[in-house]
Amino acid sequence: MRHGSTATIDAVYRAEFGRAVATVAALTGDIGLAEDAVQEAFADAVRTWPERGWPTNPGAWITTGARHRALDRLRRESARADKEHGAALLRPPVEEAEVSPVTDDQLRMIFTCCHPALSPPSQVALTLRLVCGLRTAEIARLFLQPEHTVAQRLSRAKAKIRQAGIPLRVPPPHLLADRVPVVLACVYLVFTEGYSATSGQVAVRAELCDEAIRLGRLVCGLLPGESEARALLALMLLQDSRRAQRLSDDEELVPLEDQDRTRWNRPAIAAGLSCLNAATDATGPYLAQARIAAAHASAPSWSETDWHAVLSGYDELLEHIESPVIRVNRAVAVGFAHGFPAGLAALDEVATDPRLAGTHLVSATRADLLRRACRPREAAEHYRAALASVGNEQARRFLTRRLTEVENRIL
Amino acid sequence: MHYLVTLVGREDTPAAQPGTPEFDAEVTRYAEFEEKEGAAVAGGAALFPSAEAIQVRRAGGQTLVTDGPFTEQAEVVGGFYVFEAADLDEAIRLARQLPAVDSDGVEVRPLVEWMPHDTPRADWWMALLWESSAAVVEPGTPEWDTMAAEHARFGEKYADALRGGGALRPPSTATTVRVRDGQLLLTDGPYPEFAEVIDRLYLFAAEGRDRAAEIAAAIPLGDGGRAEVRQIVDLDA
Repeated sequence: MRHGSTATIDAVYRAEFGRAVATVAALTGDIGLAEDAVQEAFADAVRTWPERGWPTNPGAWITTGARHRALDRLRRESARADKEHGAALLRPPVEEAEVSPVTDDQLRMIFTCCHPALSPPSQVALTLRLVCGLRTAEIARLFLQPEHTVAQRLSRAKAKIRQAGIPLRVPPPHLLADRVPVVLACVYLVFTEGYSATSGQVAVRAELCDEAIRLGRLVCGLLPGESEARALLALMLLQDSRRAQRLSDDEELVPLEDQDRTRWNRPAIAAGLSCLNAATDATGPYLAQARIAAAHASAPSWSETDWHAVLSGYDELLEHIESPVIRVNRAVAVGFAHGFPAGLAALDEVATDPRLAGTHLVSATRADLLRRACRPREAAEHYRAALASVGNEQARRFLTRRLTEVENRIL
Repeated sequence: MHYLVTLVGREDTPAAQPGTPEFDAEVTRYAEFEEKEGAAVAGGAALFPSAEAIQVRRAGGQTLVTDGPFTEQAEVVGGFYVFEAADLDEAIRLARQLPAVDSDGVEVRPLVEWMPHDTPRADWWMALLWESSAAVVEPGTPEWDTMAAEHARFGEKYADALRGGGALRPPSTATTVRVRDGQLLLTDGPYPEFAEVIDRLYLFAAEGRDRAAEIAAAIPLGDGGRAEVRQIVDLDA
């Protein structure tokens, strides 16, 4: 690590903030207090490190400093007869200069941030803040929300943890099965928000994908026995390996078929596949999705894709999530595995689902299958229908391009 | 920590009408719960339907006392429990065993203070103090202290009649607990069907409706606040 500049203190902040907060919160039982104390310890670092030189273990320096500050404040507050905090003082401060944060503290913090009595947006914001160490302004920027909205959400969530008595702990074994999915859902929410941005001008927000993968790795390290966590990490790595190719230079969405596979991130694919191999006994929805992603990532070309593997991935996924959108995607896989007429028949089965009414998904998929089945006239008709109900500008341009293609074939 | 668990449900079912076999069956299910988890139960009562309630409103410096029913809402508070639990997980574990979570939802909220009560009797009444959720005062603020002082004065004046009660943490601390298909569903925030939230409750004894109305009219209410006074069902009768 380079020493002496604020840029590197930033790096320490990013790497150590979450662990330090977790450790101090475990000691004091108060997340807000821990966060303030760690914040102040970093302020001390900014003042003293450049002058007096860097400590050998910056993380331990921060944690120790934050712990002392937190205990000082508890002492002052208990002098004001704040009995709520008094109990924490019964534990004498440990005097060693270097403490190594315990992974248990961080795991405890993740489960606290993802407690099911908090709303999913609060879980995400809190996890990014307290576990990943993102600042409020950064979280606001990533989710394209006003900073005060995020700030309010964070303070409301922290107040609820404190006042409603949400325990700062890893849930006992009988609750773990209920709670792990919430933690993983939170991590995956961060990823999907980054990978297919629901709002704003950019379709991919790389920082969120990176943050989600970092969290996924952390959770896998903290819960080595959880195959679900590994399956989720595999899924994120495999999807993310294609991130750079999903958009063309002029910011158009590039379908999987047309992506330059030589430029997919090979190390990420290798890591994702090995993660997938270690997760085969997972029973949740991530394994099936990871298998679909793996089938695409390992295919040397679109035409050599193992469509039967993709199809069985969708069948497996439908056992976990009954979604018409998944059925539409499955119909495409049926088309490639068993011929386009079979795909069109599979699409017919889901086309009347009222949940798809008003979207362009069915028309666009039908048009695509018809185009591939060399029925350009019908394809054009359905591209036009899809264009009539599409809302997203990028998708509109893509469908228009396809429509022109099939119209040229008719001529 | 003490948690108030508000049982919310439809009133137009036989199970909500004291005296019906359905009501008795429901009571049996609650008795089974108390048999199992009684150690954690620090209070509770079932209420007569809201049509028989008394309503107290405070607006523009005036106190208005009228009969219920209060609003057109299909769902009303049918009863409550107070649990003594180490943390929210423990309170949720208890709450999810209540029969009400299957058909409706129950709201779990921590109490700032709790005055315990004895076994409710036939002449007991409960006053639920409602506020619009925006008007709720945070414990520890000067406004809270002013309000608390008024309640202390009310408590002294009606000490003979008061049987118990409590003040709640702000609605942001609430969690709604439902069980659907055996799955526990937790939602952040108070029971969403109500625009107002309960921020305090009193239990008191009163010989007759007039006396109950008299005591209720003396309860300190913020401007725009209201108290809903309902008679308690004596389950031992």
